[in-house]
Amino acid sequence: MPQQIKRLVTAFAVFILMFLVLQQVLKPNSFGKLGHYRAMAIQENEARELHYAGSARCTKCHDEMHTDKAAGFHAQLQCEVCHGPGLKHVLYADKFKDGKLPDSLKLHKPDTRKECAICHQLNAARIKIVFDTVNNSMIKQVNALKHNLVDKHTKEELKCIECHNPHQP
Amino acid sequence: MVQHIQDLYEVLSKVDGYVYPNEIELNWSILIVLYPYITGLVAGAFILASLERIFNLHVLRPTYGIALLTALSFMLVATMPLISHLGKPFRAYEIMITPHLTSAMAIFGFVYLWYLMVVLLLEIWFDYRRDMVVWAGETKGLKRFLYKVLSLWTTDISPKAVALDKKLGYIVTVIGVPSAFLLHGYVGFIFGSIKANPWWSTVLMPVIFLFSAIVSGIALVMLVYIVLTRIRKLSIDMACLDMIASYLFYILIMDFVLEGLDQIHRIYEAEESFEVLHNLVFGRLFFTLFIMQGLFGTVIPLLTLGTLQFYKPKALIRKGIYLVVSVLILVGIFFMRWNVVIGGQLFSKSFYGYTTFKIGLIGTEGYLMAAVWLIVPFLILSFLLWLLPPWKKHEDDPDVQVN
Amino acid sequence: MEQKKSKLSRRGFFKAGSIIVGGIAVAAAFTPFDGILFATEPPKGKGKWYGIGIDINKCIGCGKCANACKLENNVPKEPFYFRSWVEQYTIKNDGSILVESPNGGIDGFKQTVPDQDIFKSFFVPKMCNHCAKSPCVQVCPVGATFETPEGIVLVDENYCIGCRYCVQACPYGCRFINPEKGTAEKCTLCIHRLEKGLQPACFEVCPTEARIFGDLNDPGSKINYFLKNHTCMVIKPNLNTGAKLYYNALSSEVR
Repeated sequence: MPQQIKRLVTAFAVFILMFLVLQQVLKPNSFGKLGHYRAMAIQENEARELHYAGSARCTKCHDEMHTDKAAGFHAQLQCEVCHGPGLKHVLYADKFKDGKLPDSLKLHKPDTRKECAICHQLNAARIKIVFDTVNNSMIKQVNALKHNLVDKHTKEELKCIECHNPHQP
Repeated sequence: MVQHIQDLYEVLSKVDGYVYPNEIELNWSILIVLYPYITGLVAGAFILASLERIFNLHVLRPTYGIALLTALSFMLVATMPLISHLGKPFRAYEIMITPHLTSAMAIFGFVYLWYLMVVLLLEIWFDYRRDMVVWAGETKGLKRFLYKVLSLWTTDISPKAVALDKKLGYIVTVIGVPSAFLLHGYVGFIFGSIKANPWWSTVLMPVIFLFSAIVSGIALVMLVYIVLTRIRKLSIDMACLDMIASYLFYILIMDFVLEGLDQIHRIYEAEESFEVLHNLVFGRLFFTLFIMQGLFGTVIPLLTLGTLQFYKPKALIRKGIYLVVSVLILVGIFFMRWNVVIGGQLFSKSFYGYTTFKIGLIGTEGYLMAAVWLIVPFLILSFLLWLLPPWKKHEDDPDVQVN
Repeated sequence: MEQKKSKLSRRGFFKAGSIIVGGIAVAAAFTPFDGILFATEPPKGKGKWYGIGIDINKCIGCGKCANACKLENNVPKEPFYFRSWVEQYTIKNDGSILVESPNGGIDGFKQTVPDQDIFKSFFVPKMCNHCAKSPCVQVCPVGATFETPEGIVLVDENYCIGCRYCVQACPYGCRFINPEKGTAEKCTLCIHRLEKGLQPACFEVCPTEARIFGDLNDPGSKINYFLKNHTCMVIKPNLNTGAKLYYNALSSEVR
């Protein structure tokens, strides 16, 4: 074999061999077990932190709210829709049964007009929506910027929840 | 990061119509414009070199070595814009370790490696091996060591061995032409295969990319050749330059026809995406598409080169015209890549609106970074010309004049 | 003797051959082409195969889903990064179409067109379609995004190189690059919640139960009930992505 061919073949062989070795060394362990990906990635995705607890956990302690709510229009609303993610709150309460909840773990109590308006502000796309097919009732729509804005007697700004109990609107 | 978010708020205020919220940010920026641009220059320069070799076009001889070394210099940085734009650049090796076979980008890694290792390096090696052995004997120190390493410590320069080099080099060239086509056609496929994007998704994309690549590569070699003879204070080989210019003319016509065909097809079929693309072309893409790519990059070079086919002014004037035309074409093809890459992201996939492109001077995706990847190949080229000067090569054909 | 044997085997060959050919013909005639039924990929395998249903008639555009998604998954707060968002479509009397999604709908919607100019208006919640033939999975160069055996499209953020090819390939705009991590991010159908028997966050907080999900392989599942009893459609069916997010009452304007 001519000299230059010998050298070239050696160089290429070394290169390819190095590549194959590196490939074996660098390839992640669980790669290819289920498909062309790291099977471990599924577990890693599953292991992420939760924030929403689910309303089943809420009713464990706040039973009265639940019964309150069940009678009204907001019956099918999950607690965390308005109060925000509550897993930390629940976990703390589970751990220290009688302990006082630190302020940072207290859940949000929405009381502004803006927060009610998120669902109830008049909107052409909302007007015909039937949400409760059993009672065939529509979602109540108001113009939150005008509807009973001020108390007639005291002339002070009114909040929605001063007239409507959010758990039994 | 903070700057990036601020930029996005600015872009948000300039959105026209509706774009999906995740589309406000342009994902592929100037670096991805450079990537097909640089790969195209490689493929084009190589194809010009191969013309000489395969079809025995001796008139192109003065540019053969320059074209090969130019191709190599750009090839060495071709993947750098791609890698430097990654969110996780240090994971880039995964493309080679676990390539996903259905992904055009993963296969590109192998196409690139094949082209670099098997085609370009081998062809240059066979072409220069004998000279490197000779030069290793004539030089000292580091340069001598470099020649030794690069020639893989071979010593055989018997006529038989040199003849073998020539023969093998020829075979590599023959393999190289389809490989160069593959390389750049493949870059086109990376865009052409995205069915979500109607501006990219066309079967003609690989072919258009290929022909624009050849155009840009030839223009680059022409430019390098003109500048190099100027620097070396030699008289230029006008026959060679005229020949390159006529090739440039014919391939530019083909490129123009293909791109025209693509647009005509688009206009005639007028699919769901037609309106949004129509407004894009006449709105946010007007300057780069019609002025930079169309007028300066295509029409003016076409008319000039076309005229020169019939009417030949004095050599000095022709040289000046070629210089200007090659620069115009290089700029034009850059904007062709720009219009594909950036243009394809300016409209929403909802077809209801447009976002804008904002680019900073600094940062990993800024103009400076892009400028670096355009300058580095020329530094590599200067180094290669110093190390492997084509004009100092030993020639077998005494009747062929080498500048 | 010799001849008889060969005759037998020849007969055997024809017999076997005709069974195979006939079998294929019969199988071909009776295998339903379910592709048309779903306008997408039919459910695969025997395990769970998740599908999602969204009832546009029930969506009130409160944006709670988009908000919950950001909180549950630590999605960057800026209005350029959404795994889930809500769009309002307003078709005006003059035929023009207005699409809006201010901050993905998280802060609620303000009606911007006066009532008398509106022909019709509706909300469309958007999220990953968990396509069975995902274009994003197809283009990932390293296998950092994939479909799980249960039909959920996930990103492996410890393997993603951040090339953004998948972002380009998604026809629905459901992916983005996390600006801090530099890797692709998208809806995981809250697989971390599913695994603990909980609903995904956006389903959890939907006040009108406009969103449902379930196992397409289970004939009694909510999603199959939903598909059976509604006129369902996927977005961009022409792209044949095998989308598994089915909308009830989807208007042709939605893209």
